[in-house]
Amino acid sequence: MTFRDLLPLLPLMLPALTAVAILLLLAFHRSHRLTAWLAAGGLAAALLLIPFACEGAPRRFGALLVVDGCALFYTGIIMAAALAVAAFSYGYLARRRGHVEEFYVLLLLATTGGAVLTASSHFATFFLGLEVLTVALYTLIAYERGAFGIEAGVKYLVLAAVSTAALLFGVALIYAELGTMEFSKIASLLDAGAPVSLLMPAGVALILVGVGFKLALTPFHLWAPDVYQGAPAPTAAFLSTVSKGAVFAAAMRYLVPLDLPSHRSLWLAVAALAVVSMLAGNLLALRQGNIRRVLAYSSIAHMGYLAAMLLTGSPLATAAAMFYLLAYFVTSLGAWGVIAALSEKEGDAERIEDYRGLAGRHPWLAGALTLMLLSLAGMPLTAGFISKFFLLTAGVEGRLWAPMAALLLGSAIGIFYYVRIIAMLFAPQEDAPPVRATHWAAGAAIGALVLLLIALGVYPAPVLAIIQSLIAASS
Amino acid sequence: MATLWPLAVYLGATLAIVAGIVTLSYLLGERHEGKARGEPYESGILQTTSARLRVSAKFYLVAMFFVIFDVETAFVLAWAVSFRATGWAGYAAAMIFIGILLVALVYLWRAGALDWGTSPNRKRSCNETGKQNGST
Repeated sequence: MTFRDLLPLLPLMLPALTAVAILLLLAFHRSHRLTAWLAAGGLAAALLLIPFACEGAPRRFGALLVVDGCALFYTGIIMAAALAVAAFSYGYLARRRGHVEEFYVLLLLATTGGAVLTASSHFATFFLGLEVLTVALYTLIAYERGAFGIEAGVKYLVLAAVSTAALLFGVALIYAELGTMEFSKIASLLDAGAPVSLLMPAGVALILVGVGFKLALTPFHLWAPDVYQGAPAPTAAFLSTVSKGAVFAAAMRYLVPLDLPSHRSLWLAVAALAVVSMLAGNLLALRQGNIRRVLAYSSIAHMGYLAAMLLTGSPLATAAAMFYLLAYFVTSLGAWGVIAALSEKEGDAERIEDYRGLAGRHPWLAGALTLMLLSLAGMPLTAGFISKFFLLTAGVEGRLWAPMAALLLGSAIGIFYYVRIIAMLFAPQEDAPPVRATHWAAGAAIGALVLLLIALGVYPAPVLAIIQSLIAASS
Repeated sequence: MATLWPLAVYLGATLAIVAGIVTLSYLLGERHEGKARGEPYESGILQTTSARLRVSAKFYLVAMFFVIFDVETAFVLAWAVSFRATGWAGYAAAMIFIGILLVALVYLWRAGALDWGTSPNRKRSCNETGKQNGST
């Protein structure tokens, strides 16, 4: 195996190597600044290697991993998102006491798990990536040992363990039925008309439970609001983007070859998950008084929109899902970045009341948050609008009438609570709390995300061209 | 049955002596009313703190050492069985695995995980609390 053979795998390996290097460094020298720079350097190097890795793609590594264009696209946005989370973390953690350096080690490990998930083509790597991601997340969620942090960590631990058990059982059932754990072999065996009993749909349904938990699709969403509320803001940003994006990429790779439309009951199950998530997420967000809980419910709804794309499996739907995920990453990271930047030393800025008159105190942050919320609501000229438009196009082409109707209804409901927060940002305020300076790293990351948001919304053609060429090369 | 009557006499004598001692000390003995009289430990010294101490068992350290030593052994033994079959690729993979665990061990060592209660910092704080409690 030469360096050229390893090149496509390097973006996956670099974060892990950086994590080990930082661990070794921490044994002898503790410096928050150096650790953050090393972590950011590792992630940036992985990101820069992706175009070079694309030249060697698609490439299979045994039965376990397949590094193709789609995997590298998802890995790329995961690395970029982790970089943004690291930027938010620096200012956020610098205001806190105790050891903060290990946060970056865990962040890198979770990112590695996410990257492995996107490239997994076998249940062994799927499970391994999921566990690396999840176990690192347990600690990241409970990193601040307040009452809410511990509650969030324990909730996530228990529910994730249960859902992982369901997923493993599903994998075991499928293995018992077909005798293989490779995604492509499972699909080809089913295409060839291998005789299947009830074990097969039962196994897929149990895997859907595990995936649904990770994506926080209703009815597996109960952990999301509490965990988002209790976790540190950078962790919540990571949880709502990287964790979900990686699992969605893996679900896409597993479910699309299965050809869901030809399995009526499974198709109905996924459709029900998607529709219920869209409606429940938006309706439950309406009466929340905590911005973190609003964002949690909003992400449930967004994952519902995205899950509808699993239903057709056409190249157009795959492209729409990839673009939607990119836009969602940018938007969600931006919103959480503003929350992280605003979080005060004592408690996090989380009640919507805390945001009254923000436009007067922090005009730039308030402007960024306004744009992010407008994008989440799907207003024109933002990435949120154009990505939702692509979803609708793909959905209509795939004749998904009920999910698309739910998408429109959900978006209409959603506008209410997004605009309620925006109105609060610009409301007059009497006694303003002192203005705190935002750390330059978080400021730069938020600025870059705002620029990306507008660029994607106004001129999406180049990104779409890249996505379509990647899909064409992969299939 | 005839051979059992010495045992019955012995039992009766024991009971009579114990009852006699308790009754006599109740009738003739002194009466004390001390502060610590009703305490579970009749040393006459008032207890300083609750007996329900929080002892740091450091389960997470035990767990980490378990992974580093025991789980590593399990994997290395599996590799040793197939040493010739896996060749140099297996050797490289095993070295990466052992290397990562070695880094974790170095991290734990430097973090003081191997010093069970004897690190310089801990010693000082132990002495301070020891002075307050009158015990170590």
